[in-house]
Amino acid sequence: MVDLNSYIYLSLILFFIGLFGFVFRRNIIILLACVEIMLNALIILFASISYFRQDATGYILVFFIIAIAAAEAAVGLTLAVALYRKLKKVYTEEINLFRG
Amino acid sequence: MSAQDLAFYYLGFAMILSALFTVLSRNPVHAVLSLLVLVVHQAFMLYLLGSEFLSAIQIIVYAGAVVVLFLFVVYLINLQKETRFRVFVRLFSLGLIFFILFAFLFVKYFVLIFSMNIGLSPLLPIDPTSSQALKMMARYLYTEYLFQFELIGVILLVVVFGTVFLLRKVKEERVG
Repeated sequence: MVDLNSYIYLSLILFFIGLFGFVFRRNIIILLACVEIMLNALIILFASISYFRQDATGYILVFFIIAIAAAEAAVGLTLAVALYRKLKKVYTEEINLFRG
Repeated sequence: MSAQDLAFYYLGFAMILSALFTVLSRNPVHAVLSLLVLVVHQAFMLYLLGSEFLSAIQIIVYAGAVVVLFLFVVYLINLQKETRFRVFVRLFSLGLIFFILFAFLFVKYFVLIFSMNIGLSPLLPIDPTSSQALKMMARYLYTEYLFQFELIGVILLVVVFGTVFLLRKVKEERVG
């Protein structure tokens, strides 16, 4: 039987997979992809709560999350490209401007 | 087990699997393509959750724009493979154990909080199974959330300006 709890479990598992990738991966593009996974997990959470509580707030928040996620991906990838043009590096452990 | 349950289990399994592929794959192109699989499955899950509109938006915006943008950037800058899963701190395994412990506790209490029925009435009532659901949602979007809706437009405009500005400046520095 699938209820709200199943959807919350799925969403949190996805969220922690994304968080794991964000913490333990070094490639900037993969890092941004992990942020997208986390946002997708939140989308499932909001939509399922909205569905099971008969409340439109979650759907509207999902709409906003998708818009913000598109903006975030554009800015993040722009920064990645700018960083690559400047330093020719994509791995975060190689980028150490502040340490000199 | 109804068809909806079966669809949930299939979609959930496929989403977790493709998310793991995204995180663990060493080749960025494979990672981004499995992100695409994740996004498409999630669009079906949104359909399952009673919102065809959001499902279509998910396909258009995520699969059509965001993932394709990722692919472009991967092809643009990242030509070599990540040779191994880099361990960048000494106590990696200890960190992993604490991460899993934290995740477990977080999931446990989060589900506890959200499955509590505190008897709140819905803020913006809607019946997701009715044919009027999209109409109601659109009405709320243009009344209750009008300011936020306009703010999204401003944010997207700023993003366009910022993207053009950032990439242009670097190019000028290279020439001069």
